[in-house]
Amino acid sequence: MTRPALERLKQRLAEVNDLTKATALLFWDQRVMMPPGGAPARAEALATVSRLAQERFVDAETGRLLEELRPLEEGSAYDSFEASLIRVTRRDYEKATRVPPDLVGELRRASVLALAAWEPAKQESNFEALRPYLEKNLELRHRYVECFDRPEETYDVLLDDYEPNMKTAEVRAIFDRLKEELPPLIQEVAEAGEIDTSFLEGDFDPDKQREFGLEILRRFGYTEDEWRLDPTPHAFMNTPGYGDIRLTTTFRPSDLSSVFTNMHEFGHGLYEWGVDPALARTPLGSGVSLGLHESQSRTWENLVGRSRSFWRFFYPRLQEVFPEQLGSVDEEAFYRAINRVQPSLIRIDADEVTYNMHIILRFELEQELIEGRLAVKDLPDAWNALMHRYLGVEVPDDARGVLQDMHWAAGGLGYFPTYALGNVISVQIWQRLLEDLADVDERFERGEFDDVREWLREHLYVLGRKFTPQETIERVTGGRIDAAPYVAYLREKLAPQPA
Amino acid sequence: VTAERLRAVLGEIADFEHTEQVLDWDSRVSMPPGGADARATISATLTRLHHERFAADEVGEMLNELASLEDEDDAALVRVTRREWERARRIPTELAGEIAHAGGVGVAAWDKAKVSSDFDSLRPYLERQIELKRRYVDYFADMDEPYDALMDQYDEGITTRLTADVFARLKPALLELVERTDRREEVRGPYPAAGQYEAAYLVLDAFGFDRTNWRLDETMHPFCAKPGFGDIRLTTHTGEDSLSSLFSTMHEFGHGVYEFGIDQSFARTPLGRGTSSSLHESQSRTWENLVGRSAGFWRWFYPQAQRLFPEALGGVDEADFVAGVNAVRPGLIRGDADEVTYGLHIILRFELERELLAGTVEVRDLPEAWNRRMKEYLGVEVPDDAHGVLQDMHWAAGDFGYFPTYQLGNVVSVQIWQQALADLGEVDEHFARGEFGPLREWLTEHVYRHGSKYPPRELVRRITGSDLDPEPYLQYLRTKFA
Repeated sequence: MTRPALERLKQRLAEVNDLTKATALLFWDQRVMMPPGGAPARAEALATVSRLAQERFVDAETGRLLEELRPLEEGSAYDSFEASLIRVTRRDYEKATRVPPDLVGELRRASVLALAAWEPAKQESNFEALRPYLEKNLELRHRYVECFDRPEETYDVLLDDYEPNMKTAEVRAIFDRLKEELPPLIQEVAEAGEIDTSFLEGDFDPDKQREFGLEILRRFGYTEDEWRLDPTPHAFMNTPGYGDIRLTTTFRPSDLSSVFTNMHEFGHGLYEWGVDPALARTPLGSGVSLGLHESQSRTWENLVGRSRSFWRFFYPRLQEVFPEQLGSVDEEAFYRAINRVQPSLIRIDADEVTYNMHIILRFELEQELIEGRLAVKDLPDAWNALMHRYLGVEVPDDARGVLQDMHWAAGGLGYFPTYALGNVISVQIWQRLLEDLADVDERFERGEFDDVREWLREHLYVLGRKFTPQETIERVTGGRIDAAPYVAYLREKLAPQPA
Repeated sequence: VTAERLRAVLGEIADFEHTEQVLDWDSRVSMPPGGADARATISATLTRLHHERFAADEVGEMLNELASLEDEDDAALVRVTRREWERARRIPTELAGEIAHAGGVGVAAWDKAKVSSDFDSLRPYLERQIELKRRYVDYFADMDEPYDALMDQYDEGITTRLTADVFARLKPALLELVERTDRREEVRGPYPAAGQYEAAYLVLDAFGFDRTNWRLDETMHPFCAKPGFGDIRLTTHTGEDSLSSLFSTMHEFGHGVYEFGIDQSFARTPLGRGTSSSLHESQSRTWENLVGRSAGFWRWFYPQAQRLFPEALGGVDEADFVAGVNAVRPGLIRGDADEVTYGLHIILRFELERELLAGTVEVRDLPEAWNRRMKEYLGVEVPDDAHGVLQDMHWAAGDFGYFPTYQLGNVVSVQIWQQALADLGEVDEHFARGEFGPLREWLTEHVYRHGSKYPPRELVRRITGSDLDPEPYLQYLRTKFA
């Protein structure tokens, strides 16, 4: 009699999934479309729908069905749909039942209100305006942590939401390696002299940026039938339903950063797009962790989008679109400029090397905050001091410092490290891909990205959440997470060439 | 304590409705077509859960405990909630979900069918809608006739019989007016889209639109959504050869300002929306026609329209233009119709809906029945279904019983308007100066702020001292058009 139980479980999970997708749309709409006056009502709607999703999921019936399905799970192959669904749902269930639905709703509501406060606070560089919201978020995070068994480190609980099973200590070990290797590289680059990037600043018509950005994305596999691209102050990707992938980006009239943001968000979108459709409306139907997700956004942004061969194809097109600004700049100069390593204030504008230092800083501050060693009111000072220590830059104001990212306002503590983990993983996966597809550079030079996309889909995207992140990495790369290939990649690509 | 618990449940229900509004708005404004199937499924799940929660025994018990409340607003809340709860109780949750799903996929299919004027591709979806409507009305067998159950979703206390009586009085009068009027041509374009948006924003800003609480987007079929208090969304459909989008924008503004004007204390309760579709339409028609086609309005706006559309309007004087937007011209499209022929478009739909529901017309025969009646009532030949039976999305969405509310809205709009004129004096003078605040405030005070506190006919009675009455409307039309 296990079949009907499986059907009942799937039905319940599909409903939970539908509610979650509805909240995804509410979120997207708030960021992209909603008039600001709608914020209070939106906070209520998000709180209610996410709370009901949670209630429905943690209902004792889910637990009963999971128990009833143990024999089916044990009798099915580990990588079968059935076993994976039951196993992953059980893990989610055990975790979710720890958190009272009221707290889930409160977390959601607090995050919506804080996000609404973050925008003006950033605009006016007014940390004090955001402070009470961050304090509220932190207090709720403490209550959240208390729902779980005492971990080795409090931060483990937060990290687990974004990078399941990974421990703070493991991340610290990887980041220690990066802290050891990257500052010397940054130093070497600085000593090698200035790289001209002046032509990357100027007047770049946002409509033309959009057109050119879409030209790239269409080559990658974007279609009007299933995707869209909108401007927002802070770019993100969102899937409010299968067959419906939404990228957002920021078109800045003074530079070309949108081109890279687009590719970054495309990587996220493609991962979701490529999940096996048979997993739709189940907990298996999305990317497995933020680290893996970020590995794909960074793959398309950096490994593809900042490669020589990619620009061999696209640079002439870009010159056609912006002849005044780039007509007299040769491809090599452009390539060097978009890959310049230079300490700076803003994470999302950072180059491939210094980017990781921005993340390590946030990772360390988050631990200080959650362990109670740092008060929210002292955050700007702590931020500025670390920026000075790690990157040697002085933060002129909080808008370009602690207020630059929305994550903490959104309540996302433990999220940041996954960005740098993604960098590390991206290169591990990429090296496996290069073993199978020998002539990737030649393909890029011809504007062909289909084989790379298909390889990634077949090896990674289709898996969805069937396996843990560690199992997924192992299936794709044959090994565990490892910083060495990433460090070697950065050195090879970006270290100054001996004269 | 019970009152608080009830408010908590109703708050959740309102949150669901707001979410459904976003899902629906998005599916028409921003969703990539590939998302339609998933969206229909999600909407169906939300509707089912919403229905399940609202129709629970627990809600009925709370309502029983709260049967005699002193406070007028509280008593109204219990009354309106009970009415909706009793209606929801009759319907199985599964059917509520099926209806939502059919609406989602129906609208997506309609989008395509209309573009290619392909009725057959929509036919199975319409047949499904009719089947669902028949199942729905079966749960209301105690009503005088099945169509009452559909109308009752939109308007409390407005029956098929009442509507048929009103329409029976209007129909001959309208047919006669169509015969008698001259058929002046509208001033043709080009009206470039950018200029139309500029015009729309100028008008909306003067009416009371602000970017903190409102937005305006382009869609195939204009509509108004309210995904939450303080979040009012209008859409319009811009075509370069006519200014009809400006009128439809004013129309949707009327819906929006009604919702916007509702008392804040009604937020997240069943009182926090306009009291009925007819009353809603009375307000959209007020802002579209009674304001937007008035001489005073154009005295203010025409110079700006000329500036925005020099090619089309540079050589046309104001009086000719105003006569053009007020001319009676039998045409194919309801949304573009003048004030006289509009009613006939509605009467045609009302008749066909009742026949479809009764089974005296089959879906497959709908285009023919449509075209025949268009010829009979308006003397026009329908060249293709895109300009005929496929023009409106209501049926694809499952909104049967809605169309009559447009025409009842026309009737009510004039009743309320006359009261506004009696109180405000010469509003034309205000309009000529671009001042719409006094009218908006009067309407807010007498209509909007009450939300659903009073049933539609009672609200009309409170404002005008009489029941729904087509006579003032007929008088208005005769004075204006005969």
